[in-house]
Amino acid sequence: MKHCKLIILTGALGLLGSCNNYLDVIPDNVATIDNAFTMRSEAEKYLFTCYSYLPSEGDPQWNPAFVAGDEFWQFYPVTNFNGNSLEIARGNQNIVDPYLNYWDGLQGGKPLFVALRDCNIFLENIDKVIDLEPYMKVRWIAEVKFLKAYFHFWLLRLYGPIPIIRENMPISSSVDEVKVAREPVDSVVNYIVSLLDEAAVDLPAVVPDLTSERGRVTSLAARSIKARVLTLAASPLFNGNSDFSNYRNADGTELFSSTVDPQKWQRAAEACREAIEACHAAGLKLYYFPSTLYDISETTRTKMNIRNSIGERWNDELIWGSSNSTAHYIQRLCMARIDPSRLINEQALGQLAPTMRMAELFYSKNGVPITEDKTWEYANRYQLRTATAEDKYNLKEGYETAALHFDREPRFYADLAFDGAIWYGQGKYDDEDPWHVEAKMDQTSARKGVGRYSITGYFAKKLVNWNFIIQDGQDLSVEEYPWPIMRLADLYLLYAEALNELNGPGPEVYSWLNLVRERAGLPTVEDSWSTWSRLPDKYTTQEGLREIIHRERLIELAFEGHRYWDLRRWKQAADAFNGPVLGWDVEQTEAARYYRPRVLFKQVFRAPRDYFWPIREHNIVVNRNLVQSQGW
Amino acid sequence: MVTDSLTGESLPGVSVLIKGTQQGTNTDLEGKFVLDISGNEAILIFSFVGYKDKEMLVRKGQAAKVELVSNIEALDEVAVVAFGTQKKSSMISSVTTIDPQELKVPSSNLTTALAGRLSGVIAYQRTGEPGQDNASFFIRGVTTFGYKKDPLILIDGIELNATDLARLQPDDIATFSIMKDATATSLYGARGANGVILVTTKEGNEGPARVSLRLENSISSNTRNVELADPITYMRLHNESVLTRDPIGLLPYSQNKIDNTVAGTDPYAYPAVDWRSMLLKDATSNQRVNFSVSGGGKVARYYIAGTFNQDNGVLKVDERNNFNSNINLKSYLLRSNVNINLTKTTETAVRLYGSFDDYRGPVDGGDGLYRKIMRSNPVLFPAYFPAEAARTRVQHILFGNSNQGSGNFINPYADMVKGYKDWTRSNMLAQFELKQDFGWVVPGLSARAMGNAQRYSYYDVSRFYNPFYYQAGGYDPRTGTYSLALMNEGEATEYLGYNEGAKDITATVYIEAAVNYNRTFAETHDVSGMLVYIRRNSLVANAGDLQRSLPFRNEGVSGRFTYGYDDRYLAEFNFGYNGSERFHQSERFGFFPSVGVGWYVSNEKFWEPMLSSVHKLKLRATYGLVGNDAIGGPEDRFFYLSNVNLNQEANGARFGTNFNYIRPGVSISRYPNERITWETDRQLNVGVELGLFNDFEIIAEYFTRHRSNILMTRASIPTTMGLQADVRANVGEAKSGGVDFSLDYNKIFTQQFWLQGRVNFTYASSEFTAYEEPDYRETYKSHIGHSLSQQWGLIAERLFVDDYEVANSPRQNYGEYRGGDIKYHDVNGDGQITNLDQVPLGFPTDPEIIYGFGFSAGYRSFDFSAFFQGSARSSFWIDPYATAPFVSYRYYDGELSDYSLQNQLLKAYADNHWSESNRNLHALWPRLSSTIIENNVQRNSWFMRNGSFLRLKSVELGYSIPRDYLSRWKIQNVRIYVSGTNVLTFSKFKLWDPEMAGNGLSYPVQKVFNIGVQVGF
Repeated sequence: MKHCKLIILTGALGLLGSCNNYLDVIPDNVATIDNAFTMRSEAEKYLFTCYSYLPSEGDPQWNPAFVAGDEFWQFYPVTNFNGNSLEIARGNQNIVDPYLNYWDGLQGGKPLFVALRDCNIFLENIDKVIDLEPYMKVRWIAEVKFLKAYFHFWLLRLYGPIPIIRENMPISSSVDEVKVAREPVDSVVNYIVSLLDEAAVDLPAVVPDLTSERGRVTSLAARSIKARVLTLAASPLFNGNSDFSNYRNADGTELFSSTVDPQKWQRAAEACREAIEACHAAGLKLYYFPSTLYDISETTRTKMNIRNSIGERWNDELIWGSSNSTAHYIQRLCMARIDPSRLINEQALGQLAPTMRMAELFYSKNGVPITEDKTWEYANRYQLRTATAEDKYNLKEGYETAALHFDREPRFYADLAFDGAIWYGQGKYDDEDPWHVEAKMDQTSARKGVGRYSITGYFAKKLVNWNFIIQDGQDLSVEEYPWPIMRLADLYLLYAEALNELNGPGPEVYSWLNLVRERAGLPTVEDSWSTWSRLPDKYTTQEGLREIIHRERLIELAFEGHRYWDLRRWKQAADAFNGPVLGWDVEQTEAARYYRPRVLFKQVFRAPRDYFWPIREHNIVVNRNLVQSQGW
Repeated sequence: MVTDSLTGESLPGVSVLIKGTQQGTNTDLEGKFVLDISGNEAILIFSFVGYKDKEMLVRKGQAAKVELVSNIEALDEVAVVAFGTQKKSSMISSVTTIDPQELKVPSSNLTTALAGRLSGVIAYQRTGEPGQDNASFFIRGVTTFGYKKDPLILIDGIELNATDLARLQPDDIATFSIMKDATATSLYGARGANGVILVTTKEGNEGPARVSLRLENSISSNTRNVELADPITYMRLHNESVLTRDPIGLLPYSQNKIDNTVAGTDPYAYPAVDWRSMLLKDATSNQRVNFSVSGGGKVARYYIAGTFNQDNGVLKVDERNNFNSNINLKSYLLRSNVNINLTKTTETAVRLYGSFDDYRGPVDGGDGLYRKIMRSNPVLFPAYFPAEAARTRVQHILFGNSNQGSGNFINPYADMVKGYKDWTRSNMLAQFELKQDFGWVVPGLSARAMGNAQRYSYYDVSRFYNPFYYQAGGYDPRTGTYSLALMNEGEATEYLGYNEGAKDITATVYIEAAVNYNRTFAETHDVSGMLVYIRRNSLVANAGDLQRSLPFRNEGVSGRFTYGYDDRYLAEFNFGYNGSERFHQSERFGFFPSVGVGWYVSNEKFWEPMLSSVHKLKLRATYGLVGNDAIGGPEDRFFYLSNVNLNQEANGARFGTNFNYIRPGVSISRYPNERITWETDRQLNVGVELGLFNDFEIIAEYFTRHRSNILMTRASIPTTMGLQADVRANVGEAKSGGVDFSLDYNKIFTQQFWLQGRVNFTYASSEFTAYEEPDYRETYKSHIGHSLSQQWGLIAERLFVDDYEVANSPRQNYGEYRGGDIKYHDVNGDGQITNLDQVPLGFPTDPEIIYGFGFSAGYRSFDFSAFFQGSARSSFWIDPYATAPFVSYRYYDGELSDYSLQNQLLKAYADNHWSESNRNLHALWPRLSSTIIENNVQRNSWFMRNGSFLRLKSVELGYSIPRDYLSRWKIQNVRIYVSGTNVLTFSKFKLWDPEMAGNGLSYPVQKVFNIGVQVGF
C-alpha cells in the first residue's frame, strides 16, 4: 500500500498549490497615490497639501526673520519657545545640523524640496481628475505654479544659488542623475519669475468665495511676490556681489555674477508698478481705522491706523495673508501682563522683546531720525523724565520713564510698549482710561520666575490685536488674524526704493513714501527733512534718499518679519547684527537703576558667510556635486 | 528492586534482560521486578533511558538491589529538532540542549537565566522591574541590522514571544534546545536565520499520579543603587551651574534658603527630601508556588501543572490611602497536556495552556516612577505638608509643589500614591495533535497533524485622583509659621479619575501536517525522511491602519532526509520552502536548503583502544541557507505597495474668512518596490564532540554566517529629490563568526559524593560587509569591517582650559560651549569638529563574549551549586542626557509634558566636575549647566565605559530529607534549599550595575535571596 504515502504527499502538495492565494492578503482598493487624482474632492486635498508646506511666517519659532537678527531678543536658554532662531542670532548656526533647515525639513524648517516634489506630482497628475471643471483646473494649476515659485524663492533667499526643481526625477533615477548641482542665482530668479508670470495670468485678482477661499493665492499675490523677488535680485546681495566671485560649482559654473546690472532695478520697478496698479484696480488701499464705535482722540486713532493695518483680519491693505499661519502664539509672545488683577494668568508671555536698537530706530515726532532732529536731545535720551498731561495718550501721566520715550512718532507708540507706556485696547476701549505698562522688577509686567518676561523691557504691541484680552484663570481671548505676508505699504516702499535706485530722487519717489508717512501721522519727507533735520538736503541725493527709504521701510514694516531679509539684501547685516544687544536693566526696581542700558549679548556676524544658510554636511557627503555655502 | 543511585528513588519501567537471551521483563511502578532465570545464576542487563546500562550477576532466589547511575549525556539520547526528534548520536546539526533544572532561578522570568548557561547565546538584562525585566538574547550574536534580531521561539511547536518564554516554568519543561546552524534551522526557512529556541513541555508517563510541589519565598533588592548628592550640595551646585554659564542668570536658590536648609530650620519651609528613601524600600519579598500532577494508564496519560507567582515592587505604601499602589504582579499559569491512545497506532494529544498576568502598580509603572525620582528636585518642596498646616479643613493630602520657574514640578510621592494602574495579560493556547503510525502499511512510516489556536489579550486601566499641590511661602522665623497656597484649584480632585490605556488582542491559528519515514535497513543503513507543511495566520485588533490590519501569514513545506551508515557516517539534507505575505508575488517564496555530514570517529573499530581515555569523538560539518523575513519593521510590510495617507491632517490647509474651510492633505510613507525580499543567511558550522575519561564532555564549534539582502535605506538619494519616505533595497550584507564551547564534567565518586562542573563560552563577532553609505573621504566613517553594534563618536581629548582655548581651537559645531566643556579631536583636520570626525569607538554595545562556569556537588543529603557568569568585549555609554544634573530631560518627546523636570545630581558628578575654581581637565563631568550642553552630550569617548563584568549569578545550597524519615508520610522526597541570584558583581564600573549599561537610572537589576521547599509524593 505504498500509495498511502503518495496520497499524503499529494495532499501536502495540493495544499501548497493554493499558496499564492493564501499569502495574497491584500484586498482590492488599498489606497495608492493614484487615488489622490481620481476625483475633485481628493485632488483638492492634494492642492491643500502643496499649500501645507508654506513656511509658518507668522510664527517666530519657524520664521527666522523675527529672532535670528537684531530685532527681537529673548532670555536664554529659552524653554517654552523653540529657540532655533535664537541660536542663529547667537552665532551658533552650524553645518552638522543647521537650525531652521528648510533644505531637509529639520530643526524647525519645512522640507521645501518635498514641497516641490508634491507640487510637481500635482502638476503631472491633475489632468487625470475626471470631474474637475476646466476653469477650476486652470486656477489650481496656477496656484501650484505660484507655490512652486514661492518655495524656490524661500530657498533662494536662504541658500542663494540652489538646484532648480523643474520636474520630478523618477525614483529609479541613477545615482549620478540625482546628484544635482546649484544653479546661478540669476537663473533661479528667472525661473521663479517665469512661474509667477504664468500663474498671474490664470489666477483671479480676488478669490471668488471669500468665506472658504480667503488665503489662497491670487494674481495680486503673484504680481507682488514677483516684485519682491525682483527687488531682491536687484539688491546688492544678489546684484554683482564681489564677495562671492569665487563661489562656483565644482565644474566652474559661476553662481553669483560679479558685475552690477542696473537693468535689474528696471525690472524690479516695473514689477512693482504692475503690482500696485493691479492692487489699486482691485480696490486695495492703505488701511485707516474705521471704527466710530469709540470716541477716541486723534492720537489714539492714528495709532489704531497703524496697529490695525496688521492686526485687523483681512483689512483693505492686505495683499496676501496666510490663513495657515495665523497670529496666535506670536500675540501671546508679545503681550505684556497689563492687568494687575489677573497676575495669576501666565498665558501672556511678553517674552518676544524688541531690542533697544529698535526703540531708537523710530523717528522723532517730527518724522526724522532722533539723531538728526534738531529739537531732540539725543545725548540725554537715557535720562529720566516724567510724563505730563500732554503725553497722556502715549505715556502714563505722572509716570517717570526715559527721555527716549518722549516726543517720538506715532508708530513708536503704536508699535511698542514699555515701562510707562499707554496700552490702548485689550478690553479697555476708552482712551481716557487705558491700560498702561509697569515693567520694573516686582511690577505688574515684570519678570515672573525664570521665564515669561521681556528681557529688554520692550513689548511689540504692534503684533497684538486690540481685542486680545487676558481673562480669568488661564484663559485668553485671542483674535487671530491672517499673518500679512504682503501688504500694500510694503509694495509702495519697494517701488520707491526701485525708482530711487533706477532714476534717483524725484517727486514720484517722494509720493509713494509720503502715502505711507501720511497714514503714520507724519509730515512729508520733504517737509520733515527741510524743517527738522540737521541734514535738510538729505532727501535730494540718491544716497541720502536711499538711507531715508531704507529707514522708512525698517520702521513701517518693523516686527513684521522684513528687517532680517532687508538688511541682508542691502548687505547691511554685517553692520547691524554685529554688536552688543541692549535692553533696560529689567532686574531693577528703581527707575534710576532700571533705565541703564544693559548688554545682553555681543552678536557676531561673519560676512559673507552668514548671509546664507549652510547646507547640512551630510548632504554634501551624499552629493559631491553640491558645493557648501560659501564660508561654511 | 531498581533505584536511582543519587536520589534513591525507585525506577519503574526499567528493562531487565538476561544476557545472551531474549528473556526479560520490566520493573513495576515501585521499581520491583521478578524474573525467572533458568540456571543458578545469570547476568542481568538493566537498561533505562537516561541511565547507564548496568550488568549484574545475580543468583537464583536472591533479591537483587540495583542502583542505576544517571547518565547526563544519555538523558539527551533523543533530542528535539525541528518538527520532530532525532537520536542524539546521529545528529550533526548544532543544537545546544540544557537540563531544564539548570534554568531554575528564583525569579519568575526564565530569560534571566539564559546568560552563560547555554553556549551560543549572547544575553544580557538591562532592567529589574517585575514584568518588564526580560533579558535580551541572541543566538550566536547578531548578524543583521534589520529590526528582528532575536531568535524564533517555539514552545510545543508554536511561535511565541520572549514574554511567553519568560513565563515558562522550568519544572514544566521537558526539553529546552537552541538551534544554531543551518541544518537545524533551515526547515524554518524564512524565519530561522536568527536561530531558534525550541521548548517542549512535559507529558505524562504511565503510572500512578505523581505530585510535585514547590514553594519559594525570596527577598529581592537592588544590586546597586546610584549614589546621589545631598540636598545642600545640590543647591550649591545648581546655583553654580547657572552662574557659570550666564553671569546675569537668575539664581535658583537664595543664600538665605541654603543657610536655613543647612540649619534644618523647618522641614516644610526649607525642605530637603531624599525622594528615593521616601518612596522605596530596601527590599521586597516575592512568592512562587508551582505544582504538577502527572501519571496515566494504558489509554491516557496526563501532565497537569499550575503555577502562581507573586512579584512585588519596592515601593512604600502611604497608610492614608486605601489602595496599595506598590507593584504587585501576579501570574497564574495552567497547563494540561493529555495524550490518548485511540488505537494501537493512533495517538492524540490535547494541550491546553493559559498564562495570566494581573498587575497592579503605580500609574507610571515602576520604571516610570524610578525615572521620576531621578528627575525631582530635592529642595523645592516636601512630599506633603502636615494636615494642620492648611487653614481650611480638607480631606485630601497636602502634597508639596512649586511653580518656581515655569509650571509644576514632579512630586514623585504624589504620583506614587495618587492612584494605581491595573493591567492584565492573558495568553491562551489550545492545541490538538493527531499521530498515526503507518508501520503496518509501510514499516517506519508515520504521520501527524497538529492544529493550534492562540488568543493573546492585554489591557490596562488607571484610576487616580489629581493631587492637590500646595506651595509654601512667607516663612516667619519668629513664629516658625509659613503660609500655604493651593496651586491647582479646579484641577485637583478628591475623587478618583479614570484612564483607559491600550487594549491589544492578537488571534493566531497555526496548522502543521507531517509525514515521517524512519527505518534501518540491514542493521547498518539508517534512513529517515520527513516532510512537513505549515500554515500560520495571525490578526491584530488594534492595527492602526489598513495595511497593518491585514493578516500576517506564513506558509511553507519543509523536509529532512538523513542517512546514517553504521552509526559512523552520517549525512543529512534539510530544506525549507517558505512564503510570507509581506513580499510581492515574484519574491514571495524562498527555498532554503542545507546539507550536513558527520563522522562518529569513536565508533570506528580502530578507535577501540582509545575508548578508555577518549570515549567519544564526533566530527561534523553543516552548510546551508536560512532566511529572515522580518525586515523593515513589525508594521512595515507590503514593500511592493506604496503606503499613502489621503487624510493626513498635518499636510492639510485651511482657508476662508474665519479660517474654517479645512481639508486634510496627502502624505506618502512608503514608495513601492516589488523586488524587496527576505534576508538570506549562509551558515557554516564545524563541530567536534569529545568525551574524555568517561567524565568530561566537550563540544566545540566554529561557525561563520553571512547575511545578505539586508534591507537598507538608499544613502545615495539626496534631499533635493524631495522624497517623503526612505527608498529601501536589499543591499546590506554582514557576516559573523565565532566559537561556542561547552565542557561538562560529571563524576560520582561514591554513593555519597558526586560532582558536576560545567563551562560555557560563546564568542561571536560580527561585521558589516556591504553597507549603503555615502562615499566618505574619511575612510574611518565607513561601517565596512566593523561590528554591527559598533558606535561611532567623537574623540574627547580633555576639557577645555578656558574660553581663550575655545576661541583658538577648531570650531565644534554642536551649539554653545565654553572652557570646561569637552574638547574634541579634529580627526580629518578640516579645522571644524563635525560628524565627519566621528570614529569607531570602543567595543560593540552587544557583548562579544558571554561565558559562564559553575559546579554542583552533592554530599550525603546536601547539595551545593554555584554559577558564575561573565560578559566581555562590550562598551557602553553613560547616558549624558539622563544623568546631566539640573536639566529637564525627557526620555521621549512629550513625556511628562505638563511638568518641569530637574535631574538629580549624581554624587560622582558633584565630587568630580570642572569648575572655575577647580579646572580639572579630566573631571568626570564637564562645566556645570542647568540646561543640556549639546557639545558635551554628543556620542563621544568621554562617557564610554567598559561593559565587562563577572558576577556570581547564582548559588544554591540544598538539603534533602533522607527517605527513611519520609516513607511513613507517603512522601517521596523533600528538598529544602536556599539560593541567591546576582550575589556578587565584579566590574571596574562602580556607579551602577554594569549589566544595565547606560540605563543606570532606571529600575535596577535585582539581587535575590530565596528559600524554597520541594516536595514530591
